[in-house]
Amino acid sequence: MDALARLHRLIVDDPQGKDFRVHRDVFRDPEVFDWEMRHIFEATWVFLGLESQVPSPHDYMTTFIGRHPVVVSRDGKGELHCFINSCRHRGALVCHRAFGNRKYHVCQYHGWTYDSSGRNVYLKDRDKAAYPPSFDKEDHDLVSVRKFASYRGFLFASLAADMPSLEAHLGEARWFLDLIADQGGEGVECVPGRVEFRYRGNWKMQLENAVDPYHFTSTHASYIQVLERRQKTAAADVPTSIYTNIRSAGIRRGSFAFARGHAAMWGDTPTPQARALYRSYETLVAKHGEVRARWMFNTRNLVLFPNMQIAENASLQLRVMRPLSVDATEMTLWCIGPKGEPADGRRQRIRQYEDFFNPSGLATPDDVANYEDCQSGFAARSIAWQQGYVRGFEASVAGADRFAEEIGLRPERSLIGPAELGDETAFHSCYREWLRLIDAGLRREASGSAAK
Amino acid sequence: MSGVFSIDRIEDFLYQEAWLLDGKRWKEWLHLYAPDCRFWVPAWKDDHEPVDDPNTGLSFIYYDSRGGLEDRVWRAQSGMSVASTPLPRTCHQVTNVRCEEAESGRLLVRSAWSCHVFDLRAQAQHTFFGHYEHLLASDGGKLSIAEKKIFLLNDVITGFIDFYCV
Repeated sequence: MDALARLHRLIVDDPQGKDFRVHRDVFRDPEVFDWEMRHIFEATWVFLGLESQVPSPHDYMTTFIGRHPVVVSRDGKGELHCFINSCRHRGALVCHRAFGNRKYHVCQYHGWTYDSSGRNVYLKDRDKAAYPPSFDKEDHDLVSVRKFASYRGFLFASLAADMPSLEAHLGEARWFLDLIADQGGEGVECVPGRVEFRYRGNWKMQLENAVDPYHFTSTHASYIQVLERRQKTAAADVPTSIYTNIRSAGIRRGSFAFARGHAAMWGDTPTPQARALYRSYETLVAKHGEVRARWMFNTRNLVLFPNMQIAENASLQLRVMRPLSVDATEMTLWCIGPKGEPADGRRQRIRQYEDFFNPSGLATPDDVANYEDCQSGFAARSIAWQQGYVRGFEASVAGADRFAEEIGLRPERSLIGPAELGDETAFHSCYREWLRLIDAGLRREASGSAAK
Repeated sequence: MSGVFSIDRIEDFLYQEAWLLDGKRWKEWLHLYAPDCRFWVPAWKDDHEPVDDPNTGLSFIYYDSRGGLEDRVWRAQSGMSVASTPLPRTCHQVTNVRCEEAESGRLLVRSAWSCHVFDLRAQAQHTFFGHYEHLLASDGGKLSIAEKKIFLLNDVITGFIDFYCV
């Protein structure tokens, strides 16, 4: 069976038959992982970081596009560049740190030197080199990525040239980024202190989990109990949380599915006053209107396919996913907040973040343990299909519901229900894009090899 | 204070803490801490610079009272946390212990630590390591921990961390 036929056996997407299924091989087959690297992570737009992480001339940060190590660098004029972190000569990394400031990047192997825009400005002992003339006809600059753009300070890049613009790629999901960017007058920044962890599981476990409200009360039962214990003892020195009244009756949860794999889930916040941002509530209403301000205080998890998530609930977290292999994933995590936040608000934001998030918090470790358990369970090769992806199917509607309408949002699908509905339809858009991209990539490769 | 307490006594106190952690005798472990203790595992803001202000930078764990640690002990033993069920086996090692006088008659104790973790779920092992800074107070000859700072040097974290593996 050829690759395309194998691919199309992995997802059942049959709206008329009210069926949606995901085959377990998407989480355990190394060939599928290779397709994902070549045709998703190294083809579509992926998230790199925030402009505010490289604020000054010659600042740089290093990250990855799929398997490609890349550098985001601000040149002397303040313009941002993104190039592949590999010397044109023998391939060594030219930037070694996560963050730094360098006017020139000197390859430590043979001394080839690049400026902060990636241009090759010096070749050691060039005048004695006896290169043939053909050498000078080659471009010796660091290789720029094909597409690189910022949306409101969020930086994205693509290794493929035939991409729609970043704005078109983000589409309606932009509204959720706007809602983050508008929380402060000067945009958002990362709180100092990067956190990284690796788990023994496929990256799509994390992809799904961010828009999976169903797991909350079972996976995070101990966290919910801790909050209830704190309420009883009423200790003033432990963090309050927006989840303090999570069992309140009548909590609604909704989801939106967008084109190109993006998705969001949202919910009522029973205790918006527990949020650091609440200090700015009046200002935000005056500036953005009551409706948008209210949405800033709703819980919102956003997935920008394939590698970025923003979770705004217990605090505000930015997550970048880096798949390492079919069963290993690296997560880079940042607490983000509005620039210029008052000191007491920033303190509260950080304490709430540490309480819930991170591989050291009271909630994330339980997610991670579940991902790893799932990966262990996938060893049962005789079981082909996951179950339950149609949870929420009968509640999902095409286009906008009244909540999308109130904010002028045009999602592909909308859903609203009680918290216990536990929608799983929000993943469908992710898997549709997953299938579309790999399908297109495999077809490109097939026609390319046929042409040869 | 270092005149009252010998280096042997201080080392024994640190070993006792490690022993209680590894033995999962966490109620006793909590009693080593003052009710208003500070427990701090800072994240790193740069290659060689840990976060130095918990109110402007991120920490893995930060509490300015024992209540937060009590929450963690309760959660780990609740049977409701999948990450803590089964609990891993841990083995702490504490060494390179040095003491110096600190303010208010307290003692600042610096040491190096590592913790071997055997994850029963994955049947796999990993190690966390770093430096400790204990600020110890004495009340009627009884030592208590006023502050503990844990610098975690290998901060690309395998799975997750909690109080019992740092």
